[in-house]
Amino acid sequence: MNIEKLKEIVRTVLPSVDVVIGYKKGLDALHPVPCFVTSPDEIDALVLNPACTHNLAAYLPSLKKKTAVVVKGCESRTVVQLVQEGLIKRENVVVIGVPCQGVLSARKVLNAINHQPVVEAAFENDAVIVKTRKAETRLALNDVASDKCLTCQYPTPVLSDHLAGEQVESKVDEQAAYQDIRQFDAQSLEERRAYWLKEFDRCIRCYACRNACPMCVCRESCIAETRDPHWMSQKATLNEKMMFHMIHAIHLAGRCTECGECERACPMGIPVAKLKKKINMEMKELFGYEPGISIDDKPPMYTFKVEEEKIEEHKIR
Amino acid sequence: MSVVEGKELRIVGFLCNWCSYGGADTAGVSRFKQPTDLRIIRVPCSGRVDPLFVVKALINGADGVLVSGCHPRDCHYSDGNYYARRRLEMLKRFLPFVGIDARRFHYTWVSASEGQRWQQTVTEFTTLIHELGPTPAFPQDQTVLKEVRA
Amino acid sequence: MKTSAYLKKGKEKDLIDALDTKARLQGHVIVPCLDGDTVTFKPAEPGCTPCFSRPAVSPPKGVIYPQSETLFSFKFKKDPEDARRTLIDLNDAIEAPDTIIFGARPCDARGIAIIDRAFSQTDTPDPYYLARREKTTIITLTCPEPSTGCFCTRVGCGPAEKSDSDVMMTEIEDGYLFEALTDKGQAILKNPVLEDGTAHEARAKEVQGAAHERMVKEVGETDTRPVDPELFHSQAFWEKAAERCLGCGACTYLCPTCYCFNITDEQVVDKGERIRSWDACMFHHFTLEASGHNPRAAKALRLKNRIGHKFVYYGEKYDGIIACSGCGRCIRGCPVSMEISSIVAALKEGTKT
Ligand code: SF4
Ligand code: SF4
Ligand code: SF4
Ligand code: SF4
Repeated sequence: MNIEKLKEIVRTVLPSVDVVIGYKKGLDALHPVPCFVTSPDEIDALVLNPACTHNLAAYLPSLKKKTAVVVKGCESRTVVQLVQEGLIKRENVVVIGVPCQGVLSARKVLNAINHQPVVEAAFENDAVIVKTRKAETRLALNDVASDKCLTCQYPTPVLSDHLAGEQVESKVDEQAAYQDIRQFDAQSLEERRAYWLKEFDRCIRCYACRNACPMCVCRESCIAETRDPHWMSQKATLNEKMMFHMIHAIHLAGRCTECGECERACPMGIPVAKLKKKINMEMKELFGYEPGISIDDKPPMYTFKVEEEKIEEHKIR
Repeated sequence: MSVVEGKELRIVGFLCNWCSYGGADTAGVSRFKQPTDLRIIRVPCSGRVDPLFVVKALINGADGVLVSGCHPRDCHYSDGNYYARRRLEMLKRFLPFVGIDARRFHYTWVSASEGQRWQQTVTEFTTLIHELGPTPAFPQDQTVLKEVRA
Repeated sequence: MKTSAYLKKGKEKDLIDALDTKARLQGHVIVPCLDGDTVTFKPAEPGCTPCFSRPAVSPPKGVIYPQSETLFSFKFKKDPEDARRTLIDLNDAIEAPDTIIFGARPCDARGIAIIDRAFSQTDTPDPYYLARREKTTIITLTCPEPSTGCFCTRVGCGPAEKSDSDVMMTEIEDGYLFEALTDKGQAILKNPVLEDGTAHEARAKEVQGAAHERMVKEVGETDTRPVDPELFHSQAFWEKAAERCLGCGACTYLCPTCYCFNITDEQVVDKGERIRSWDACMFHHFTLEASGHNPRAAKALRLKNRIGHKFVYYGEKYDGIIACSGCGRCIRGCPVSMEISSIVAALKEGTKT
């Protein structure tokens, strides 16, 4: 993550676009925030480090401007998927790719430092050094990286007009990409049910997961809220919370680019990205399809084959 | 009279208008004996069946859900059932991940002339659901989950 | 009469259990508990792990003002005397068990005091809210140390603020001092698990003073300056401020002072209910009118409402009081770390963000 290189690119790109979306200093060292650069004197405020986690491509569908956007590997897939589905126009985005060694999970860092307020943080190649009022802690990046990064297959953006840094190879082989999901699947039905009920019980239906998701494009018309059609009530009960998460997961089938925003955005720490990753695993197995790889693909749920090689007729038992 | 012993359970069936609903009708007209647990919802095409219909039914107390459409190549709208097949297969594989028994959901193809096949499908599915018993409810109250925490 | 009491460290659970058996129905002592690595207020049940070392992610307001509640339910039935008539069975009973919130923070208690006005100082006091409010005792913990985003002393609250609680609980070296602040608080202090606290009062006072000092040093004294009216009504200011906002409900649903709600009817065949549920001014639907027109269609306008309600409109109605307790939850919980504290500071300064 080369900030000088990035600034240089932004400087050359800025005159040809209305806005550049990047990151700037935020709440604390663990929480940089998205920033919208429109004039050259704002460029110096840009930052780039493993705490820059937001998927900035999420802003693209609602911005009706020519936009340059800073994206890491997984987020470049979001841009591809958005273009593929016709939700944004390729000619309206300039993609500034950032090869990525993994980003932090602020939640994991805070757990590791006992939730002390962070005063400062320094980033090294494979570690982060976090200073609180009481102590300084060195944490291996691998231990506090976002879950999505631990199995990431595309650390280098799959699409970019400019690349800020050297290509990075995936550290995980393809076989292991879904190992976490397979492990989860190895549990009994009752265990899985209990797990999700306990997690969903905490959900406050704030929809941060949905609004942060770049591929949740219904926005104002989300059926979790509309009265017409009337899919669900506003009760804060488990069946309704569960239903909401099924809506998010199933509407993302074959479209989720595994950016992990839904999970990161959740203030209650509910691992909702897992649901979508499971569906992605099945999509890959059934249709050999991965979302956000090629602009010319078609999402598997939008198409079909007369003979489906992998779908067999089910027997009732 | 139900052909399956015990208390009637709640099974929801989404049947396409052109084939499976006709198949069910054929079975009825031919006076084939069938279990009565199934509640049929007629839809224009299996392609109209949003996987979330199935999910909503299962979360809110259905003990089983059966979706049936025209055989591949026979769709009245030429390819609705091909889309349905992909979506429903995705759902079938997803359900167990959140702890819903995939056996409670079955999708199949029955044509308007296959009264016999319809009777078999309903009977077999209903028998299976009776073996599985009522679906474990998703708590509809707001209190913390005793069942899970214990 | 006891006005203070003492509890040794390590005995927190004993006290919680003792209070739990006192509460009219068990399961009505609400404690901040660890759930995974998230702290939320939950009924103290066997197996729950109380956590007092950091503020809960969400406030305990749901105890008195639940996220959703059934105002009444109804069922249609045939009149046995006259088959052409339909009768209605109505259930509009209000359930309000004795409840204790154990380990709230002063900002949580302040939040409830702020909501109180909205539901009581009106022509139509709200029976549902008030019934539960009446039955709830609030035991508040002096905040041991500030968390990221806290700014309570700037809005007139503070880590040792006592005015909104029934009992103040202050951590001192080997235990906690409990001070009764109301009659409900007195009742709590009678619990036999608690010892006499007189000997520890002075120390607790020191701790409270130090906590307050420290917070003031960190974030400053109460800021009484009004917001700059011109800036407050500047579209450009809000557009810039709301630029990165995602328009979700995290900030409002985590806020101890937000009290907006929606009412919806749900009916299935012959029975139904009327539900009141939290709503959030940050949602697009909040002001969507039946005609399809939305007077607050832009997120900038919605953010203006959220902040305006807390720092301008509420005060206009209730004596200049600020409807924010400075808890910092909306800041910590926001997926893009929007800082209400700095937006308000900018409004007061009259500068652009
Ligand atoms: S569902 Fe989650 S992981 Fe997938 S694209 Fe949306 S935010 Fe990213
Ligand atoms: S962000 Fe978390 S709490 Fe909010 S709706 Fe999504 S899962 Fe629920
Ligand atoms: S507005 Fe934010 S800081 Fe103020 S009380 Fe609400 S959540 Fe806390
Ligand atoms: S939590 Fe943050 S992103 Fe969500 S509506 Fe509030 S300010 Fe906006």
